[in-house]
Amino acid sequence: MSLPTQAARAAAVAKVVQPIMSRNAEEARRRVIQLYKAWWREMPITVQEYQLDISAKQGRQKIKELFMKNAHIKDIKVIDMLVIKGKQDLEETIHIWKQRTHLMRYFYEPPNKPPTDFLSGFYAGKR
Amino acid sequence: MFRLSASRVWQLSHKLTAPLGARANSGTSPAPEKIEVFVDDQPVYVDPGTTVLQACAQVGIEIPRFCYHDRLSVAGNCRMCLVEVEKSVKPVAACAMPVMKGWRIKPNSEMSRKAREGVMEFLLMNHPLDCPICDQGGECDLQDQSMAFGSDRSRFVDNQFTGKRAVQDKNVGPLIKTIMTRCIHCTRCIRFASEIAGVDDLGTTGRGGSMEVGTYIEKMFASELSGNIIDLCPVGALTSKPYAFTSRPWETRKTESVDILDASASSNIVVSTRGGEVMRILPRLHEDINEEWISDKTRFAYDGLKRQRLTVPMVKSEEGNLVPSDWQEALQKVAIQLNTVDGSEIAAIAGGLADAEALVSLKDFLNRLGSETLCTEEVFPMDASGTDLRSNYLLNTSISGVEEADLVLLVGTNPRFEAPLFNARLRKNWIHNDLEVAMVGSKVDLTFDYEHLGDSVDILQELASGKHPFSQKLSSAKRPMVVVGSGALQREDGAAIHSALTSISQKLRAGSDSSDWKVLNVLHRVASQVAALDLGYQAGVDAIRANPPKVLYLLGADEGTITREDLPADCFIVYQGHHGDAGAIMRMSVLPGAAYTEKDATYINTEGRAQQTKLAVSPPGYAREDWKIIRALSEVSGQTLPYDDIRDLMHRLTQVSPNLTRYGEVEEANFFAQAHSLAQLVKTKFSKDPLTPKQTTLKDFYMTDSISRASRTMAKCIQAVSKK
Amino acid sequence: MLTSNPRYFAGIIFGVVWYFEFATNIAQARQLRNFHGSPAVASEQLVVHKDTPENNPNTPFEFSQENMKRVKDIIAIYPIGHEAAAVIPVLDLAQRQEGWVSLTAMNKVAEILQMPKMRVYEVATFYTMFNREPVGKYHVQICTTTPCMLRGSDGIKDTLIRKLGIKVGETTKDKLFTLSEVECLGACVNAPMVQINDFYYEDLEVKDMDEILDDLKAGKKPKPGPRNGRFASEPLGGLTSLTRTPKPPEFGVRDDL
Repeated sequence: MSLPTQAARAAAVAKVVQPIMSRNAEEARRRVIQLYKAWWREMPITVQEYQLDISAKQGRQKIKELFMKNAHIKDIKVIDMLVIKGKQDLEETIHIWKQRTHLMRYFYEPPNKPPTDFLSGFYAGKR
Repeated sequence: MFRLSASRVWQLSHKLTAPLGARANSGTSPAPEKIEVFVDDQPVYVDPGTTVLQACAQVGIEIPRFCYHDRLSVAGNCRMCLVEVEKSVKPVAACAMPVMKGWRIKPNSEMSRKAREGVMEFLLMNHPLDCPICDQGGECDLQDQSMAFGSDRSRFVDNQFTGKRAVQDKNVGPLIKTIMTRCIHCTRCIRFASEIAGVDDLGTTGRGGSMEVGTYIEKMFASELSGNIIDLCPVGALTSKPYAFTSRPWETRKTESVDILDASASSNIVVSTRGGEVMRILPRLHEDINEEWISDKTRFAYDGLKRQRLTVPMVKSEEGNLVPSDWQEALQKVAIQLNTVDGSEIAAIAGGLADAEALVSLKDFLNRLGSETLCTEEVFPMDASGTDLRSNYLLNTSISGVEEADLVLLVGTNPRFEAPLFNARLRKNWIHNDLEVAMVGSKVDLTFDYEHLGDSVDILQELASGKHPFSQKLSSAKRPMVVVGSGALQREDGAAIHSALTSISQKLRAGSDSSDWKVLNVLHRVASQVAALDLGYQAGVDAIRANPPKVLYLLGADEGTITREDLPADCFIVYQGHHGDAGAIMRMSVLPGAAYTEKDATYINTEGRAQQTKLAVSPPGYAREDWKIIRALSEVSGQTLPYDDIRDLMHRLTQVSPNLTRYGEVEEANFFAQAHSLAQLVKTKFSKDPLTPKQTTLKDFYMTDSISRASRTMAKCIQAVSKK
Repeated sequence: MLTSNPRYFAGIIFGVVWYFEFATNIAQARQLRNFHGSPAVASEQLVVHKDTPENNPNTPFEFSQENMKRVKDIIAIYPIGHEAAAVIPVLDLAQRQEGWVSLTAMNKVAEILQMPKMRVYEVATFYTMFNREPVGKYHVQICTTTPCMLRGSDGIKDTLIRKLGIKVGETTKDKLFTLSEVECLGACVNAPMVQINDFYYEDLEVKDMDEILDDLKAGKKPKPGPRNGRFASEPLGGLTSLTRTPKPPEFGVRDDL
């Protein structure tokens, strides 16, 4: 089987594939907002159950931030997929299948890039 | 000396026939035929006189031993090395028995195995079972060998609860901890004290079951090499007092480095660290420098690395106090000062512990600012050829070269404390080859006999002109050495002394039996001096005294050669270094540097050998490696030095002087004849003061630099020695 | 009462005996050979120096002029460079002068022989006949090794202890006697024996020992040697061999030679 044929077949399959959940953008949006509200309600309980060193407000802030990170996505299927993943995540969180570190990982901020020039490296004690 | 004087007399009678530089026990006849022996049926050819143990070592079979040590005389009293030899009824002690032709040695036979197990059983019978609280645990010969060669079960049943043999612990000073019950009477420490250290303080008292190793009367083992008996002790009887109960050998990280404290020999060491802390320092084998010994200062002064350290940059506040600051502020303050004055008004002094990297970057930096006044704290005569010719300031014969010499003339130095390992070499040669030693300078105890010619400088003149009675001996020597302490050259008449010695040496060179034999040797006392002179620093601070600068940069200069009084009141002083030592108050700005265990740095020892220390722990607090501080300062003051990492810097070092980066090699110097002819121009007069080295007694040995001055252990040593 | 029942005791005794026999048999069968460390021996003298009022680094010691001459003579016996070989005779001389070897005496010997002090200490501590602590005027050394013990040295020792009022290793208050117990002094054929200073008193009985001590206390010098009428170590009841005069040299040789 030659390669172009394979690509063509794949394209054909993609065209006839069924939607994951939502049939239109409105439905997808509703699902997103449902998920968002579910997380929103869950947050104080999560903070308490997991004894996180953050306030519920900070947690909600983070949820908003994570949702807004995907605000630019318009593809319904992608949105659906993200919603499914988000639900899974939420379920794991509710059932305490996760551990504290899994949640706190959302708050992880990568350190600044090591300085490249001599002087700032010297001041930072990196060189 | 009891054990050695006998061998010396024996050698006297053999001296005339023995070839020069040959070991006393090597034969006088032409190369003797090798004899064939069999080890485990494997044929091996060995020289006559080889012991069974050495023959086995040649085929890679190591015989267990406790009392035998390569560098000590053979005692043969531990019996651990018993092996079977065919047709011998009893097993023989491999360390002491010379092989005979055709012997079949069976180091792995049943008889050998049983003999070892038996010896081990007897040793353990009176050895306490306190390995869990023993500092030797993990590096104990007895532990290892009982695992490898001992029986797997014990017959020791103390039915009557009479207990094991117990021996009272001895107090031999603040460095060595003794737990004499653990002693297995191998007598290594006694032989070391007697043969290598030359201090016959240790011995065996009593007999049989009540024999003890010790000092009989309670006294300190007063030797500058005493710590080595800790390494020699195969069990935990002698351990390090400062290191006691601090760490286990398997916990520590070992970094192979180089020492800078034992004056200028730069012994090779292993720095053991745990969790960013130096736990202890052990010697590393280097046949040409320290063999396997190190001095007590090298070994025990490491606690000085943890005390009195400069950890944050400091600047002088408006009230005139030094207050902690950060690097940015400190560097900016210094840079402003450097930029506001003219280049010619800036000067620098490098101290005794500065490394080549820092030295070259400081020189480059100040040169860029327009200053040429870079001095070393250690003085060296600059008259005539001065430091232009390397041969003028090196230990040209090299440390191991001492073993070939047949006569040594020491001038104004006390090598025992200025360079303990150099002195150990002298003693070794004195014992084995009947070296003759003469001394011009104060009468000091060198652990061996020498002819004391007096302490007046006039003797040098007489020697140079051949009028002195000793000149006869000097000129008849085949391989003479003249060793002058750098202390003697720091007198006012240093140049005259140097010139006199140059002419003596030049004469002796002509009389020596080898054309490349070098006679003149300078024994430096600080680690940085040779590198600084190689890099073109001026020796001595006369230039600064004559022309007081507006900004003075001190690179670890702690000896206080320049005081506040020597400088104008508005002089801005920057101090860069690792210890807040002498005169810390007078500095306007303090930049914390790294000590020798905290940086990869190059040092050149007194014989001109480049060696590198390795980073074992990171510098404490905000301290940084020295060359980086200078590099950063250069950028802040707008004269950026063109190297960003150590590789660039090494390239720069190589550019300036290629020998600085040829690690491990001695870069020999020459141009003796030219140095001699230039030395004739010296017009300095001899002074009347007697030649007296700074360190005359053991008390003076322990604290000579900022690290050892901060060391509590060294302070205890001084206390113990003074009490004696 | 159970404990007063003789049959019960018999049972216990039988059990114990049986157990010992059983244990011995087992040990023999497996050829077990247990050993244990040498017991702590109470030595007469310490092998380390402890400063005491009598013996410290400031104790005065100097060889008398006469002895100094002797020291020179002794050293002269040995080749040049081997002066240290004279350490035992010179230490002995010091002991003869003072009765014991003090720390300062050892230091002096080291100085004279130009050897490290430690090497002298080693020699002096090795040889038990050097007294490193002060001893009385009469140093009584009683041998209690097997032959002497079999011939009654215990009785002699008891006599000494009783009569002198000191234990082994002690000195009487008047500094006259020091009693020590020693191993074989090589006079087994004349056992039991004591050595008092340089003299052997042999073939002793308790009354002899009494007599010797009384003599010494009285300042007299008892005659050394055997006390039972023997001259030396010959048989007590006259010779048992070599009783005839030896044959002349020509005995048994052919007439024509």
